[in-house]
Amino acid sequence: MIRNYLKTAWRNIAGNKFYASINITGLTVGLVVGIFMLLWVQDELSFDKNNTKADRIYKVAIVGGTGISKQIFNHIIAPVATFAKNEIPEVEDGVRVMSVGNAPFKYKDKIFIEDNFAFTDPSYFSIFDFGLIKGDKRHPFADNGSAVITQSTAQRYFGYEDPIGKVVTMGLNEQVKITGVIPDYPANSTFQYHVLLPLSRYNELAYIKSKTTYDGKTIVSSMDADWSSFMCETYLLLKPGASEAVIAEKMQAIHERNRPEDKPVPYLTQSLTKMHLHKADGTDAGFSTVRTFAILAILILVIACINYVNLSTARAMLRAKEVSMRKIIGAGRFHLFMQFMIETALLFVIASVLAFVLMFILLPYYNQFANKQLSLSITNVNIWACIAATLAGTLIASSIYPALLLSSFEPLKALKGKIAAGIGTASFRKVLVVTQFSVSIILVIGTLVIGRQIQYILNKDLGYDKENVFAFTLRGDMQKDFEVVKARLKNDPSVVAVTRASRNIVLNGPSTGDNDWDGKPKNSNMWFNQLHGDENLIPFLKMQVLQGANFTGAVADSAHFLINETAAKEMGMKNPVGKRLRVQTTNGTIIGVVKDFNFASLHKQIEPVVFQYKPKSCWQVYIKTTGRNSNRAIAVAQGLWKNYNNDVPFTYAFLDDSFRKLYTDDQRQGSLFSIFSGIAIVISCLGLFGLAAYSAQVKTREIGIRKVLGASVGRIISLLATEFMVLVLIAILIASPIAWYAMNKWLQDFAYRTEINYWIFIIAGIGAMLVALATIGLQSVKAALANPVKSLRSE
Amino acid sequence: MIKITNLEKFYRTEEVETIALNKLSMHVDTGEFVAIMGPSGCGKSTLLNILGMLDDPDEGSYVFNDIEVAHFNERKRADLRKHNIGFVFQSFNLIDELTVFENVELPLIYTGVSASERVKRVEEVLDKMQIMHRRNHYPQQLSGGQQQRVAIARAVVNKPKLILADEPTGNLDSSNGNDVMELLTDLNEQGTTIIMVTHSEHDARYSHRIIRLLDGQTVMENIMV
Ligand SMILES: Nc1ncnc2c1ncn2[C@@H]1O[C@H](COP(=O)(O)OP(=O)(O)OP(=O)(O)O)[C@@H](O)[C@H]1O
Ligand SMILES: [Mg+2]
Repeated sequence: MIRNYLKTAWRNIAGNKFYASINITGLTVGLVVGIFMLLWVQDELSFDKNNTKADRIYKVAIVGGTGISKQIFNHIIAPVATFAKNEIPEVEDGVRVMSVGNAPFKYKDKIFIEDNFAFTDPSYFSIFDFGLIKGDKRHPFADNGSAVITQSTAQRYFGYEDPIGKVVTMGLNEQVKITGVIPDYPANSTFQYHVLLPLSRYNELAYIKSKTTYDGKTIVSSMDADWSSFMCETYLLLKPGASEAVIAEKMQAIHERNRPEDKPVPYLTQSLTKMHLHKADGTDAGFSTVRTFAILAILILVIACINYVNLSTARAMLRAKEVSMRKIIGAGRFHLFMQFMIETALLFVIASVLAFVLMFILLPYYNQFANKQLSLSITNVNIWACIAATLAGTLIASSIYPALLLSSFEPLKALKGKIAAGIGTASFRKVLVVTQFSVSIILVIGTLVIGRQIQYILNKDLGYDKENVFAFTLRGDMQKDFEVVKARLKNDPSVVAVTRASRNIVLNGPSTGDNDWDGKPKNSNMWFNQLHGDENLIPFLKMQVLQGANFTGAVADSAHFLINETAAKEMGMKNPVGKRLRVQTTNGTIIGVVKDFNFASLHKQIEPVVFQYKPKSCWQVYIKTTGRNSNRAIAVAQGLWKNYNNDVPFTYAFLDDSFRKLYTDDQRQGSLFSIFSGIAIVISCLGLFGLAAYSAQVKTREIGIRKVLGASVGRIISLLATEFMVLVLIAILIASPIAWYAMNKWLQDFAYRTEINYWIFIIAGIGAMLVALATIGLQSVKAALANPVKSLRSE
Repeated sequence: MIKITNLEKFYRTEEVETIALNKLSMHVDTGEFVAIMGPSGCGKSTLLNILGMLDDPDEGSYVFNDIEVAHFNERKRADLRKHNIGFVFQSFNLIDELTVFENVELPLIYTGVSASERVKRVEEVLDKMQIMHRRNHYPQQLSGGQQQRVAIARAVVNKPKLILADEPTGNLDSSNGNDVMELLTDLNEQGTTIIMVTHSEHDARYSHRIIRLLDGQTVMENIMV
């Protein structure tokens, strides 16, 4: 029986190559894109979940600041983990991770710049599934001079030699000895630290030996006693069955007991499994994008299914006779249902095979594009479950309705050809076409809005001049000799100006809530973003000083502050110049107000900023070039660098590039969107093309008669095309408000955003009409030009 | 075998109601060969469709092999049909995508006959219809007469007790038509009951009895000698 079904199905496909290839193409493209996107979604949702204790691990965050400066700190103070473990019975263990930028590691004559290195507690290797595969499991770090590295790092450093016991030089001349190796992290792990050093080493260097002062009064001799330096991520492993709810309150109580001046200092806990896509307070940090893409992937699949359903139900009319005869001869509904199901399944098998071939070919490009490391390996159960579910879902969605419809034909009516007129599927098909086009148009509008927003961001006047500026970080003695370095740089004609600062202003930097000023309200806990520089920084960046004046470079400047407009407003000061302000250990006076500028991402509002004159703590050098000759300026900087650091390669970044990097995710989203909408339109048009061909085929006789009666070619084309253009028009009407609503929501994520202009809808609408018209037009013209005598005889 | 009493069938459209069958009564015994004649539109095809359980009557009774089937549902009718009745149409109605062999095999597949048995039976009947040499051809590759022989082969392959033929010679020339009539007569002689609608007095002469219809009613019955 099955064999017979298969045979019939195959002949039906082979005998209708035109429709079969339209169907197969649509399904293949839909499946490739749909599966790719769902794999991405699945990967995003799987982050950190493969830790065996994932459901008991929580990240701890602190809410700092009030008003506009309110923010969540994921890097928190060091004592939290220690106190939580000792004082909160529900906490089984805790771990801190402190990543500290990059550092060079040297082995023999090879140098490796490690961005992903961190200090951590030994419990890192037992709380997470990052157990040692080499070394002493109970004591991952033998002493403060130890390091644990990943397998691939070991291979990079030592090739096939045994890494255990090897000594590498870190930074300028610190020695570390490899005492353990952990497996490489899965790609869907948030943790990607390749070199791990004991946090106790940091404690020894920064606290025990150098006795940090943090508020000018207390000398702190251990990081566990430092309640004000926000520096490490902290994770707690709760005992089985413990509730996370009370943990935050208990930690807040501990904090406030140890440092009453911070009151109130709310704590947050967040499950490890939520960390990748949510902020600590539960708000979105990527989850909505994942959800959007999941919806889009499903919509693409739906569009592909709609094609199949539309074409096969349309063609069902042509098959009515066959179906009736089968029924008269004795076929039951079930037989026919199965026959059509198998026909669809066969078509699906073909499309799936093609889709797999395409996926294998395209996967490397897709990975690159989507910034993923997906692989179609047999062992990855999740991926195959995802693919299987997609295939099954799509198959069911596209097969059941046509199969039910075809098997339900009443034999007598169908035999007499009355079905074509009587059946209600024509309007159903129209609904489907409208759905397809609505989705496509929504995607097009989305693409346009995203593109415009990205343009808006990239071209927005930020309030400072980042054009032709590159920056690099001073190292070692170069900082002491800065005046010499600067003089040498300025000597070169390609260099316009040189200045230095404590941080890259494009990125987020340090901030502090440790401040006071005349008349500061009791309950205010405002945080400042801190920017240290020399007297050239503000003119260099062409920032505007609205009140007061810039630093002059005099000694007194070390007790002077400039603040931005937002800070002045938040502090409630109309005329801040001359007012007293304390920031951390510096007591001084405000000497000026700088016009607001957008530092960090435009996703965020402008926050309060304080400028301090501290050339000694400035490690970032900014060099403004003439623009025409920036390579030469870079070469000069590199030459100077070589004089000081012959062993470490020179790295630099243009502010423009760093700025653009902030929006790589947005840009990627934009590109994905445009690809999505392109594909949605292609698939929709494919379906429309098939329907138009069918419609022309069915109307051959009608067209012939009309022509004999004297209808012009133009009239006939419009007769055929109008029907479809009306559908596209309805789709535009449905899509526009939905797109407007959705894109408005998307824009809310930016503190600074464009308007959604009406012309976007007009462009998208006209575009859709033109594409549809081109698709239908070809078929209509062909039908209209056909010789009427021929088409009449063919009946 | 068949007994119908006061059978009525109406077709309603928006403006008019057509009475296709008007309190029609008749009976057909097992082994009979009956021809139904009458002017165009008098209800012959309607009657045949009801007899073949492709359609149900609006009023009256239809007893088939001592079972009242007038109000059977679609599924029950289909079941009874596929085991007992074979159809032959004026326009052959072969399935274009299937070969001669496969067309004839189809009813056996639907009644669940095993593959080896199917081959045997299909070859047997193709032989009898003298169409064996065309077994792997598709319907479009055959002449009208050949197509109708395939259609008859398909109608009889399941060994039905009753064959309903709606103008089986309507699309054929007289020599092909006579061949078809010979085939039907042979089948009837082997015990199959046949009810045939025809416009041709010549064809009607092959039957035992002619039922003449007018406006959905029996007007006359001729017993052939
Ligand atoms: N589906 C239908 N809807 C409406 N009226 C119908 C339908 N089928 C048949 N009729 C009407 O019922 C009457 C009987 O039709 P039927 O097809 O049985 O005639 P017939 O005797 O087979 O004619 P012919 O010799 O031309 O085939 C006719 O008047 C016809 O118009
Ligand atoms: Mg008729």
